[in-house]
Amino acid sequence: MDMNIPDLELLERALSLDKYAISMLISLFENQLEVNLPRRIAVMEILQNHPDRKQAVLLGLTGTPGSGKSSLLSTCIPRLLELNHRLSIAVIAVDPSSPLSGGALLGDRTRMRPSPHDDRLFFRSQASQSQSGGLSPSTFQVCRLLACLFDCVFVETVGVGQSEADIRHLTEHVFLVLQPLGGDNVQFLKAGIMEIPHAFIVNKCDDPSAQATYHMLSASLNLARPGERTPVPVYRVSARTGEGIDHLCRVFLDLVDSSQPTDIFSKEVHHFSKWVQEEWGKAGGRFLAEQGGAKQYVTAYGGFEASQRSFALDLLARFVPTRL
Amino acid sequence: MTATLQSQALPHQITDKEGKVIADQPWMFRTYAGHSNPKASNELYRSNLAKGQTGLSIAFDLATQCGYDSDDRIALPEVGKVGVPINSLDDFHILFDQIPIEKMNTSMTINGTAMWLLSLYVALARERGVDVKLLQGTTQNDLIKEYLARGTYIFPPEASLRIIAEMYEFCLIEIPNWNASNICSYHLQEAGATPVQELAFALANAISLLDLLKQRGRFDQNNFEVAVGRISFFVNAGIRFIEEMCKMRAFAELWEEITRDRFKVKNRKYRLFRYGVQVNSLGLTESQPENNAWRIILEALGVTLSRNARCRALQLPAWNEALSLPRPWDQQWSLRLMQILAYETDLLEYPDLFDGSPVIQSKVDDLKKNAMEEVNRIMEMGGVKAAIESGYMKSALVRSMANRMSAINEGKQIVVGMNKWTEGIPSPLMGGADGGLFKVDATAALEETLKSLEAVRRKRDPERVRIALERLKEAARSGENMMEPSIECALARVTTGEWAKALRQVFGEYRPATGIDGQKLGLENDRVEKLRGHIEDMTARLGHRPRIVVGKPGLDGHSNGAEVIAVSARHVGFDVIYSGIRLSPHEIVQSAIEEDADLIGASVLSGSHMELADQIMQELREHGADGRVAVVFGGIIPQSDFNELFAKGIKKVFTPSDYSLIDIMESIADVIEEKALVHNSA
Repeated sequence: MDMNIPDLELLERALSLDKYAISMLISLFENQLEVNLPRRIAVMEILQNHPDRKQAVLLGLTGTPGSGKSSLLSTCIPRLLELNHRLSIAVIAVDPSSPLSGGALLGDRTRMRPSPHDDRLFFRSQASQSQSGGLSPSTFQVCRLLACLFDCVFVETVGVGQSEADIRHLTEHVFLVLQPLGGDNVQFLKAGIMEIPHAFIVNKCDDPSAQATYHMLSASLNLARPGERTPVPVYRVSARTGEGIDHLCRVFLDLVDSSQPTDIFSKEVHHFSKWVQEEWGKAGGRFLAEQGGAKQYVTAYGGFEASQRSFALDLLARFVPTRL
Repeated sequence: MTATLQSQALPHQITDKEGKVIADQPWMFRTYAGHSNPKASNELYRSNLAKGQTGLSIAFDLATQCGYDSDDRIALPEVGKVGVPINSLDDFHILFDQIPIEKMNTSMTINGTAMWLLSLYVALARERGVDVKLLQGTTQNDLIKEYLARGTYIFPPEASLRIIAEMYEFCLIEIPNWNASNICSYHLQEAGATPVQELAFALANAISLLDLLKQRGRFDQNNFEVAVGRISFFVNAGIRFIEEMCKMRAFAELWEEITRDRFKVKNRKYRLFRYGVQVNSLGLTESQPENNAWRIILEALGVTLSRNARCRALQLPAWNEALSLPRPWDQQWSLRLMQILAYETDLLEYPDLFDGSPVIQSKVDDLKKNAMEEVNRIMEMGGVKAAIESGYMKSALVRSMANRMSAINEGKQIVVGMNKWTEGIPSPLMGGADGGLFKVDATAALEETLKSLEAVRRKRDPERVRIALERLKEAARSGENMMEPSIECALARVTTGEWAKALRQVFGEYRPATGIDGQKLGLENDRVEKLRGHIEDMTARLGHRPRIVVGKPGLDGHSNGAEVIAVSARHVGFDVIYSGIRLSPHEIVQSAIEEDADLIGASVLSGSHMELADQIMQELREHGADGRVAVVFGGIIPQSDFNELFAKGIKKVFTPSDYSLIDIMESIADVIEEKALVHNSA
């Protein structure tokens, strides 16, 4: 596949963390126009094999609206950049779109920059394009791109139920942010949010009710996840007073240092089959199974975007057998 | 306050203690003023005093209000724009040159840095050899309304409330005639508060402040009563002047009841509701601005007609305030109105005109009942600090503002010359060489300001400065009163930015809830549906939903306009990144670049639009993105500046006369459409 020159240039600039170039490339993947599919295929192919590409550790941060995910991240990120002078971080924050107008109010992000001229941090907002929050259709592709450019990628989503499941297929570690709440541990169990996260963060721990929440949560965890050998960590922090922030930052840094970097390309299979479901529905799903399933399909065609293109053609060929 | 009638006097007359028929003394006449630099402002004050103004009301520039030195990067475009820049005690010596501060009543519109400015005033008195006890005046110092409406806060609520309390504790002993703070409902009305909200939020604010003073336990009951007596209010008066007058009566009655019942104040003198007024600027229109003169008169009546609820001090806006900062002549015209009202009319010769009116009493009772319900709600939440932190008060205000806007949009609320009877003969007041507008030549003044700042830094004793700042921080950490350490900072020639920075290091900086979630705009009609369809169509064609970044560059914190725009934009289908206030052009452009926004909408009310346009366009060019991101401006921007802004690359300029939100939204969609055409074909 030929790469057009401007894209090649963008790619080189993006690898040296030029903001404009990174932004243009993200837009290339967010923009789902068919005409750009060849460009997307070419960019990913080159980037995947580029000697300078990074392999980021992906961290997911999810929680109910109002749990303080954004302020928590705004407090942690300057600290992380301060603690590790060579670390580069990308944040992708997904906010819900309005069911009425389709528009969305996206996160405030200017506050998380320790110095306005630091290129080690890149922040991009996405609209979920659905009411329930969760991930936007292109979140995977954008994450994959950023994972090749940065040491660490945070994915922040509004989470209730389904979206935690989504984010598990994207990031290695999922943190669920909770705010102190009244009520008993049955509520935690009912909320159906207990099984997935790798760790819990009780935010606003300066609030007197946070102590009770912490204990309730710990107790519920034993019930909800009986088979687990090591207890799931629960961190207590306050973005407001700064309590617990340093500890949490060290946890993040340890993960970045010690984790096996995410092979983001290995996740293409899952996201491709999700894309097929969303784009082509049950018929598409059946056809994919006929072809031997997502894994075989993606491997055969050489990647997510290439599979997208072939799938449309194959499917049309299957249902419209004779060419006109 | 009702005069005791002596034998010869009739019920319509006022008498003094001896029974002689007299007229009341008028309220204090003030003009909110200050610009360019201390020298120019000093000249203005002295000429205003010569014209019969009886007190000073000092306007500080935004850098001073937000605690930055004039040469700070974020401050530079704002220096000397909306008020006078004050960097050090040397500037105060110039500002009050030949003004006898021991006889002057000085009101300072200062909040985040109120403790600092008061310290400078005290230090000035000490260096002049003036007895500090003689100083009279007010530091506005109401941080609650800063968090809600005005935006020049610096520290988080807890630290801010402590600073206010410490100033009360200091002033009560050292400067007994100083109002350490003003409870301001003025800005709440500007932000859209209804009369009930204005009453309730201001009273809840005052109650919470007194609760705090009580809880800190530095006063015995006697001193506490005196402190209650020092609480004064700064109120707004809108065009519905009968209701506004009733609001003032409700204020007076409620304050009497609260101080008596909740705070057990025995001395009646300390239960008096004392207030100053600036009449409403929100309702002043840019279209047919001459009509504002009449609005101002009527609004002034609302706070002067009823003797029992008459203001202590009054300042009037100028007729052209929706267009630009007022010229000295415009301010003089407003001052003359007060003088005519006080000295030509018979207003001051009568006892209260409304006592006994069943209509007025019923209206007052109704306001009181609804206001107290709201006060109790806030108190149940844990007082104003809790109601601020939870975003409750902010979203209540934003809702009221949205209701007001939609009533005007739909023509339910008539604004003459704006949404009704809009055809008219152009005003001759807008003629003349200056086009009826005030233009400050800030460049020359700025140079002088920066030079004198440098001179101060050069000639002071660095060791004394270092120790003074250390002591200040120590006091901040230990909980000791910070007034004396601040005064020592002032005497040592610490600068405004250094004082604020030291305390920022201890207390941190406040980042607010924006209150823009969950608003209703009342924007439901065919045009909205049509625009949504248009934006869907653009989304399909462009491959992405059009994205806009809305922000306020610079230090001005009046965020309501930007917030309403952000919410409206989502409502019609844009993806909106709202970044709030106090951003540098660099930060706004960086947002737009990283988010690949189609458009930047910048709101500018401080008069710095030219500088900010230059900086934003320059930053975009540096990224090579000036063709990719369109820029529009909104705010108080004179028509005569439009062409220069267009030449700089700004695509559209919206002003208060563009009150129709759907017009603005359609116009933004057009700009994006046009930009996409040009950019994609290039």
